Amino acid sequence: TCAAFSLLARLEGRSSLKNLEPCLFAEEGSPVHGDVIEFHGPEGTGKTEMLYHLVARCIIPKSGGGLEVEVMFIDTDYHFDMLRLVTILEHRLVQSTEEMIKQCLGRLFLVNCSSSTQLLLTLYSLENMFCTHPSLCLLIVDSISAFYWIDRSNGGESLNLQEMNLKKCANFLEKLVREHHLALFATTQTIMQKSTSSAESFFPLKLQHEFDTDYRPYLCKSWQQMVTHRIFFSKQFNSGNSKGFTVVSCHLKKNNVVKRSFSIAECGVQF
Amino acid sequence: MVVLRAGLCPGLTEEMIQVLRANSVRTVVDFVSSDLEDVSQKCSLSYKALVAVRRVLLAQFSAFPANGADLYEELKSSTAILPTGSPSLDQLLDSGLYTGEVTELMGTPGSGKTQVCLSIAASVSLGLKQHVLFLDSTGGFTASRLYQMLRAQAEDEEEQLEALQRIQVARVFDVYEMLSALQEVRDRLSQQAVSCTGPLKTVVIDSVSAVIHPLLGGRQSEGLAIMMQLARELKMLAKEFSLAVVVTNQVTRDSSTGLLKPALGRSWSFVPSTRVLLESKGAAWEEATTRRSASLAKSPRQVRLLPGLHLCDGEVTRTWAQSRGRLPMG
Repeated sequence: TCAAFSLLARLEGRSSLKNLEPCLFAEEGSPVHGDVIEFHGPEGTGKTEMLYHLVARCIIPKSGGGLEVEVMFIDTDYHFDMLRLVTILEHRLVQSTEEMIKQCLGRLFLVNCSSSTQLLLTLYSLENMFCTHPSLCLLIVDSISAFYWIDRSNGGESLNLQEMNLKKCANFLEKLVREHHLALFATTQTIMQKSTSSAESFFPLKLQHEFDTDYRPYLCKSWQQMVTHRIFFSKQFNSGNSKGFTVVSCHLKKNNVVKRSFSIAECGVQF
Repeated sequence: MVVLRAGLCPGLTEEMIQVLRANSVRTVVDFVSSDLEDVSQKCSLSYKALVAVRRVLLAQFSAFPANGADLYEELKSSTAILPTGSPSLDQLLDSGLYTGEVTELMGTPGSGKTQVCLSIAASVSLGLKQHVLFLDSTGGFTASRLYQMLRAQAEDEEEQLEALQRIQVARVFDVYEMLSALQEVRDRLSQQAVSCTGPLKTVVIDSVSAVIHPLLGGRQSEGLAIMMQLARELKMLAKEFSLAVVVTNQVTRDSSTGLLKPALGRSWSFVPSTRVLLESKGAAWEEATTRRSASLAKSPRQVRLLPGLHLCDGEVTRTWAQSRGRLPMG
């Protein structure tokens, strides 16, 4: 009964995700439920700001131009800045009263996880919430790479043991996304040096002069394989460009790539 | 990795543990991720009993989601902005040090990091009459210099002494001592009835690079794992107890852009919310003519001069909500 009820309710909310942020995607009509979108980039490139932008788009009521859906935000490194989100909401709401702000924030759920084991167990216990909240259609994990070094160290010499928890998390996330018709956004941090070999580059040789990224995959295969869109974030260093940040967005199944610029103001991300 | 044992939660008996173990269900994760109908059949255990245990285990070991509106209500009044002792630095930081965050001061040796740390300690202790924990890992803390700063700000000897007493200094020589000192603070704060109004609001760590740098470069992942563990401790402390955590770090030059960046690598760079670069212009030995500059390298807020918020020494702490006009000044 849970699945049937939520499917019906979610099909209604499903189409509205298309208007979440079209500029982030290489083709129209994205994201849809079932999509797993990875934000990848070094520190200071706007990944978290982009998440706040998406959260604001979701929790603002339809009357204010938002999608009026609920969001589950899993914060794995105590990074979430509520006061920053409130500032963004203040700028985007026509009537930014305390009441309005709290009404919007009522659509946001936040959870802090301090280890990959706790993340896994939390995902299991959150399953119930997705059943009881049919308008909860966006799941965010910031970041999914937070436990990488600690897990690697705890796993000793065995790569299998090192990756075990994240693999289980990835598998369960896939199940949640599929069964409850969610869209998942997860950030991964650039913590490795870029591979110098062009053969190992993410992009085929012919595209490398146009799109170059600091990307070297390090998370387990289970995660890599469930990602449907990978979006690379980078910061411009030349002062001539007023839009300081860039995204290179790749639709992995269709092999579409697009590059766009954005800036970050008091009101958040602006394309 | 929590191993199942009798009494871990009600309903989990020794006999159950034995039979589960015989069927490769050893840890909480194993239990929670198993198909309970399957386990019930294989182990001849009551399905209902297993479901009940699963529910309790999840309640015990998973994290609970909070509603955004509730969280905002809590943060509105518990987030405070602390003066650093230097009005221009406060301006740079969008009024001062925010509690609930880790602020990083980076710079070359001699750029004034320790001075700023001492100034923060003096300002918070004397001006706000709040306690400060100072973890010194370089031996750079000098009580005499601190006393000098206090004497410059307060005439009354008793006031100066009281301010000194509110600053607790611990010398830590390696990361384990640092982690242990932080754990002690955590235990102490957990025992207080209402933690966000407790007297400790600031933890200063001078420096983080001194204890972490020796761990990096060797067996890569272990050093990095300990660094991330320390990072986690600092952020949890800041968030859970509404503290302003200030850390100092060295700098290195980025090979591709030529810009100065914080030491300790990419993984560390994600940790602080705010980062200030300290530089000193002028020769180090000409104390009188040394000019120091601070620039903002990273901030979670667009920095703008908020009218009427120029904090002077001895100014009362404003909470974030008051500064935004969302609560009356009290």
